[in-house]
Amino acid sequence: MPTLLNLMIFTPLIGALLCLVAPSKQAAKSIALVVSVVTLAMSLVLAAQYDYHAGGVQFESAMMWIKGINVEYRTGMDGLSLPLIVLTTALSVLVVAASWNIEKMTKAFMALYLFLYTGMLGVFLSLDMVLFYVFFEVSLLPMYFLIGIWGGPRKEYAAIKFFLYTLAGSICLLVVMLGLYHITPNAADSGGKPIWNMMTLQSDSVHALFAKGGTYWVFAQWAFWLTLVAFLIKLPAVPFHTWLPDAHVEAPTPISMILAGVLLKMGGYAMMRITWPFFPDSARLFWVCVATLGVIAIIYGALCAMAQSDWKKLVAYSSVSHMGYVTLGLAVLTRTGFDGAYFQMIAHGITSAMMFFMVGVVYERAHHREIDRLGGIWLKWPGYGGWSLLCFFAGMGLPGLCGFIGEIMVLLGTFEAVGHGAGHTTIVYTLGVLAAFGVVLTAGYILWMFQRVYMGLPKPDYDHYEPVNTREYAIMTVLGVLALVFGIVPMIVFHATGVTFNHLFAMLAVQ
Amino acid sequence: MSLQLAKLIPWLPALSAVVCGICCIKRPLRKLAAPVCVLSILAGFVITLGIQSHVTGHHEGGAVGQTVTLFEWVHAGSFHVDMAYYLDPLTIVMLFVVTGIGTLVALYASGYMAGDRGYARFFAYVSIFIFAMTTLVLADNLVLLYLGWEGVGLCSYLLIGFYYQKPSAVAAAKKAFIVNRIGDLGFALGIFLTFHHFGQVTYTDIFNAAALYHAHGVEVPWTVQLIPYLLMLGAFGKSAQIPLYVWLPDAMEGPTPVSALIHAATMVTAGVYMIARLTPLFMLSPGALELVAIVGCVTALFAGTIALCQYDIKRIYAYSTISQLGYMFLGVGVLCTSGAVFHLFTHAFFKALLFLTAGSVMHALAGQLDLRKMSGLRRKMPVTCWLMFAGCLALAGFPFTAGFYSKDEILAAVMEKGLTEHSALYITLAVLGLFTAFLTAFYTFRLWFRVFMGPEKYEMGEEHHSDEDSHTTQDAAHGSTSGGIEVAHHHEPHEMPLFPMNLPLVVLAAGALLAGVLGHRWMAHMIGSSSAAVVSQVAEHGEAATETTHHLTLLPGVDLHTSMMIISSVIAVLGIVLAAYYHWLNRPAADRLASQFKGLVTLLANKYYIDEINDAVIVKPLNLLGQVFFAVDQLIVMGLVQFVGFVPRALGLSIQPTQQGKLQGYGLGMAAGAAIIALLVVMAMH
Repeated sequence: MPTLLNLMIFTPLIGALLCLVAPSKQAAKSIALVVSVVTLAMSLVLAAQYDYHAGGVQFESAMMWIKGINVEYRTGMDGLSLPLIVLTTALSVLVVAASWNIEKMTKAFMALYLFLYTGMLGVFLSLDMVLFYVFFEVSLLPMYFLIGIWGGPRKEYAAIKFFLYTLAGSICLLVVMLGLYHITPNAADSGGKPIWNMMTLQSDSVHALFAKGGTYWVFAQWAFWLTLVAFLIKLPAVPFHTWLPDAHVEAPTPISMILAGVLLKMGGYAMMRITWPFFPDSARLFWVCVATLGVIAIIYGALCAMAQSDWKKLVAYSSVSHMGYVTLGLAVLTRTGFDGAYFQMIAHGITSAMMFFMVGVVYERAHHREIDRLGGIWLKWPGYGGWSLLCFFAGMGLPGLCGFIGEIMVLLGTFEAVGHGAGHTTIVYTLGVLAAFGVVLTAGYILWMFQRVYMGLPKPDYDHYEPVNTREYAIMTVLGVLALVFGIVPMIVFHATGVTFNHLFAMLAVQ
Repeated sequence: MSLQLAKLIPWLPALSAVVCGICCIKRPLRKLAAPVCVLSILAGFVITLGIQSHVTGHHEGGAVGQTVTLFEWVHAGSFHVDMAYYLDPLTIVMLFVVTGIGTLVALYASGYMAGDRGYARFFAYVSIFIFAMTTLVLADNLVLLYLGWEGVGLCSYLLIGFYYQKPSAVAAAKKAFIVNRIGDLGFALGIFLTFHHFGQVTYTDIFNAAALYHAHGVEVPWTVQLIPYLLMLGAFGKSAQIPLYVWLPDAMEGPTPVSALIHAATMVTAGVYMIARLTPLFMLSPGALELVAIVGCVTALFAGTIALCQYDIKRIYAYSTISQLGYMFLGVGVLCTSGAVFHLFTHAFFKALLFLTAGSVMHALAGQLDLRKMSGLRRKMPVTCWLMFAGCLALAGFPFTAGFYSKDEILAAVMEKGLTEHSALYITLAVLGLFTAFLTAFYTFRLWFRVFMGPEKYEMGEEHHSDEDSHTTQDAAHGSTSGGIEVAHHHEPHEMPLFPMNLPLVVLAAGALLAGVLGHRWMAHMIGSSSAAVVSQVAEHGEAATETTHHLTLLPGVDLHTSMMIISSVIAVLGIVLAAYYHWLNRPAADRLASQFKGLVTLLANKYYIDEINDAVIVKPLNLLGQVFFAVDQLIVMGLVQFVGFVPRALGLSIQPTQQGKLQGYGLGMAAGAAIIALLVVMAMH
């Protein structure tokens, strides 16, 4: 099984090389499709083989990589990565299907996309800090080109902005890693070597160094914020979010899907893998500040979404707002909030990918995204309208659909956090009420958009639009069914994460 | 019949929704949608009938409700919520209302909606609605209740906006959803606080925890006391009470069967159901129920006054629904839960009947709803005329009709509370309730006399609900309103066919007239053995009170209850007689009366200008806030980023002149650099 796991990471890379030498555009597309289906199958096999009762890291493999500084090639899968891996592989098939119409430099597009794919899988599966960093950076480069070459009118600007922002985040992470390199040899059982194994970095001996009042307490506080900023940029959270609307607006539809569906989750995943478990005492010290950042993102993102006249930008800002729930859920340090934040990532992976796809279907025909120039689409394409309804209401967090579970659990967790001790009661109540008010704002901007785009009478220029084709219906059907299934049977996710989160949360809980 | 069958009640309509959805896509199958939908709801009714003896038979043992678990919904950490159903007599009553009225309305709609483009879509929505509404009623915990609650909200949104090519319908749908969401914000916060304090969201756990407070007389913390107020906000939103009632009148944009089912009989009563269900929780906070009673009573009066001056038939009924819901809140507010639920039950019959007969009139007159444009239709539509008459009698509280019994039970309970506790507040509420009953009788019969009595005269509307051809030829690009104008309209108002349209109405009319006499004791028994029954020391207090009640009276020679009955009968008859005078026998007198109170009439006709005020105070500022935030995003956040990006470039530009390839410049630079380093080295050495 560890072999299969490693093979899964690098299958897309092999596919990428094949795409470059593919004889035709069609062949490149087929290779990409086959590769993503094979990878999906591999991830499903792994999910089936995973022992849910035992939990923890499984299918682990390690190999010395850079001996001098004790860096290993170490991979493995646990409850935290499993659902995200399945999400990534499943979305990937849909993304390839959604890129079927790309005619400009198809081979290069597919190759870059598959390269990106390896990067994403690597981020979720690596268990060595340096290896994680490498994959984190690897995912950056293909994205730069995918936006910069296949994007809209302002693609260069958007691509460079995306690149610089994420690079700034990476530098913050690098600084922390330099610190770890110097400090971890002091840990009790390190044998004098730096520790890069992410599981060991969460052990008691390392925690002792970073504990409140410990030798490296000041570093731990700085490191908490530096890693947090690195990942908040990726997530993104206000005020580090301005790259996102530009990147989304310029990116081609499939790239927007993968960007919102998976790349943003790398930020949330990394917070759960690194920021919180490495520096739990800092998290306990700063939780109110971080929670405030989360609530600001929720409200700010929603209000900005309300002011948009560009449809895709509206969806992009809605991502900012929805990711705020992830920040908030993690910050409040309650089990319900933690689970809610995780579920929110999975749910948003489904709904945001679907929303961007829905926008893309219209954009491909209309060549503009101005909400005021649209209208009456439901009457034009009833089937597409029906799926859009499901999609946007799932995004809005309607109970019974996937968006609801994450939101309500984060909010419940927030109110639970009142129990963390005196002094913060009023602030926590205020944060909880404001976050809950975000739900009303979300309903506001989604419904207003839905009214202007879908309802009313169709515009005359729709007449020459091609009808929505079977491939497109297939993509939206898969995503729509997933949105429904995860809303009704959310246990699929909690079943996978349960045992892992028990261990993880044991060190985060507020005593 | 096994209790386990209760699991099917929501899920059969869910299945029906999927089938109807397929019928939407495969157009040849569309005729199948109505029977599938009707049968799935009917099945729920039959199951309810079958299991009711299991549930009502059990209350002797102390265990009030029984739980049937379908599957584990969310189980993470300490947070545990199941897809589980809680069955007690209150649930059964609600299920009877939802599935019973649901079946009849769906049957009526299979005729009413025939020829509409969205025939299958309509029944798909109705199926989802029944799924959500039965889930709401059956839920065994607050989160599942919330699921049903939002689900019915969604269906309400979809069905109000059913004619989504019409801007007014779409705007009304959005308004309904957002106003409800504001209420739901309170509801959600209430759930969060409940979870925070009790650690659970299951009814039984909450009731046990609440009982502990009662039993030990422990002081209830203020955050727990806050819970009922927050939950109440949700109830006011869904059940259209002040201040969140504004969406219901606009909701009449939806097809009429929807108004009957969702916006009169079932969904809007969800708030009353919620408070009744959570009575033990509401009793933890002394002021909460009092506030519910006050809001209910004021809403009843307020909506009743607006209904006096409206001309749109459906809107009059909408305001009347708000007003009647106010009575129900008044009922739960004084802990007369059985009266409130009884009124909910009878109201479902007569208001559904009134809406559907209004629908028949609208159908016959091609969409005409304006009272001023119709008169004397009794000969054209005799069956509809007398069916509506039955409904009007019940709504007006005419003696021995259903509405008479249920409304009277509530008002008597309020008066009793006022007299036993010597509370001026409750006596005032009872008097206001009686005055509203007078208004109700008047505006109800104003409508009926205007439509069916007097000289025969009518103007056709612009829609073609009954005209099959115009609908099928109607192009997708044309709205239903624009389609009607092209074809000259010649047909006359006509009676509706017995099946499937008038037959369900006859059943409803029978209910409107008889449900009071027959259901009186049954209801008291049912609610008395449900979780809504007021337990422990309050019940003892109540018993003590009943003894003294016999000495209380308003009229000589009879007890309080009977005297209230007599008073409200007189009031109802008075209202009807006045309506007959002004709106049948001497219509010019009504106009003269209106011109005398011109200011008041304008105020009422414009619904106290509440919509305009809301727009100016809430909608506009919020929109502006969004614009401001986006401007901030563009100017400050982006500006900051641009600035950060500009600094290195500016630095580069400023030192650019030094890099011009002139050797002497570089030499100077090198010399300066070496000097500085040397200086530093010297300084470091000292």
